[in-house]
Amino acid sequence: MTPEQSSGDFFDLAKPHVRRSMVLLALGAVIGLAIAGYGLFTAKGTRSHSVPPEDLALVNNRPILRSDFMTQVQTEFATPFAESLPEQRAKVLQEMVAEELQVQRGLEIDLPSFDPDVRSALVAGVQLEVAADVMAQQPTDQELRTYYEAHKGRYVGEGVLRMRDLVAKSGAAATAEEAMANAQQAVTALRAGLPVEQAVRHYRLEDSGALMVAGHVDTDEVFEFAAKAKLAGEIYAAAATLRSGQVSEPIRQSDGVHVVVMLEHRLPVQEDYATAADRVWTDYKDEAQARVRQANISYLRSRADILLSPEARELSPHARELQERVR
Amino acid sequence: MIFAVATVVALACGLCYWLHLRSLEASLVREWPADLAHDSRMMRFAVSLARPVYARHCASCHGANLHGDHATGAPDLADSVWLYGDGGIGDIENTILYGVRSGHPKAHNVTDMPAEGRLHQLSAPEVDDVVEFVLALSRQPHAGTAAERGRKLFYEKGNCFDCHASDAMGNTDYGAPPLLGPKWNYGGDRLTLRNTIYSGRHGRCPAWISVLRPPQIRALAVYLYAESRAP
Repeated sequence: MTPEQSSGDFFDLAKPHVRRSMVLLALGAVIGLAIAGYGLFTAKGTRSHSVPPEDLALVNNRPILRSDFMTQVQTEFATPFAESLPEQRAKVLQEMVAEELQVQRGLEIDLPSFDPDVRSALVAGVQLEVAADVMAQQPTDQELRTYYEAHKGRYVGEGVLRMRDLVAKSGAAATAEEAMANAQQAVTALRAGLPVEQAVRHYRLEDSGALMVAGHVDTDEVFEFAAKAKLAGEIYAAAATLRSGQVSEPIRQSDGVHVVVMLEHRLPVQEDYATAADRVWTDYKDEAQARVRQANISYLRSRADILLSPEARELSPHARELQERVR
Repeated sequence: MIFAVATVVALACGLCYWLHLRSLEASLVREWPADLAHDSRMMRFAVSLARPVYARHCASCHGANLHGDHATGAPDLADSVWLYGDGGIGDIENTILYGVRSGHPKAHNVTDMPAEGRLHQLSAPEVDDVVEFVLALSRQPHAGTAAERGRKLFYEKGNCFDCHASDAMGNTDYGAPPLLGPKWNYGGDRLTLRNTIYSGRHGRCPAWISVLRPPQIRALAVYLYAESRAP
């Protein structure tokens, strides 16, 4: 205290006073520390003491909007909000608070990190949100036609086959050369008009079993894609080139020599735009959604910290590029 | 000295006015919509708050005079026909908050107008028949025989009645408008109706919850409510 400052000047705000300044500074610091300590050491942490006017309640600072509450009351009781009873409103509020508490608890125990259902729901929700714009947009006829022209190959009707895959077995009964000679004779006879069943008996041919359904010889119609999946590559390649009534050259395989008899072959037909319009529309939308989702994943990756083990890096040819981008 | 006093008084007045506005805004969002409709003082305040907000954010689609735009399908907001809800303040507010097909999980998005023709639900001549039936419903010149065929399609193959209701009065749960005219979102002439039925419609409205403050949204809802009931 300077000599000219007496204790009586302490309360005289018109005059500067060193001790008063120090006391006020200390008082401010103590109050600040007290507030911080209360916030830090009480279980509730920081919290609001008043509910914002647009909210009906705050649950751990998470708002329950009045508008959401009104909608929920109307939905739950199928009545206009103005006509709902206080008991109904109370019930809905209780349910909304309970829901919010449980959602918060779920996040607290990190439910999304281990519950597959929650993870699936989150993924589905994010994908839906990302693709919402695309789903709502309606492509014009011109855009769809352009898309159809660019992807014409997709709109080809599936070809249909009715065929026999016969095999002259090699092994204990016949050598590979004998089987080939037998098959060659069978092909010649079949091309000369010998009925299939007679050729099977005469040349001791067997059905390969590739097209058999429940143990019976399958002479029903088979889609080309199904035949492709069921037959060995070389055999399907030969079958795909045959027209109705034609017989393939003998095809050597590990179990013997195969002969394909094409009973009927309806070739794939290019569909025009009008016929394929609904699938064009679906494909256009699906592709647009896939693009948006992929862009979203790329964006999320670009801002994510993803570390890959050496083994993981080997798995993906793009891992190094990804690491660089993340760095 | 006088200048200092005047400044303090002006600041105090400004602060009081600001607090008054905040208090009015708080009352606006706190009051239940049904009560709000009978509070003329609050209605006036809401309308004054909403007008500039509407002009800035909504007029580009719905028009400065609220009468909508047939080109984009933005509906007329000054009439009594509502796509969603009954036109009460709460329903309007809900639509403004979350939008229509906006991508917000709470948006109105139960269904949309399917492309009946493009998706082969109806053939092109059948679409024309349904158009005639809708023209008949809305008391416009139409071809009688085709309209009769259209009626059958409306209730059977087209499934139109599922959303637009058996009496064609629409369904505000689905956002399906009434078909009796004379109000149309996209237009009620023969060509526009044909486009609507053939190619479908997918109108959208953004979610404003993260753009506007709650009092602005409530004020807009009150404004539209008031305008739609104006004589």
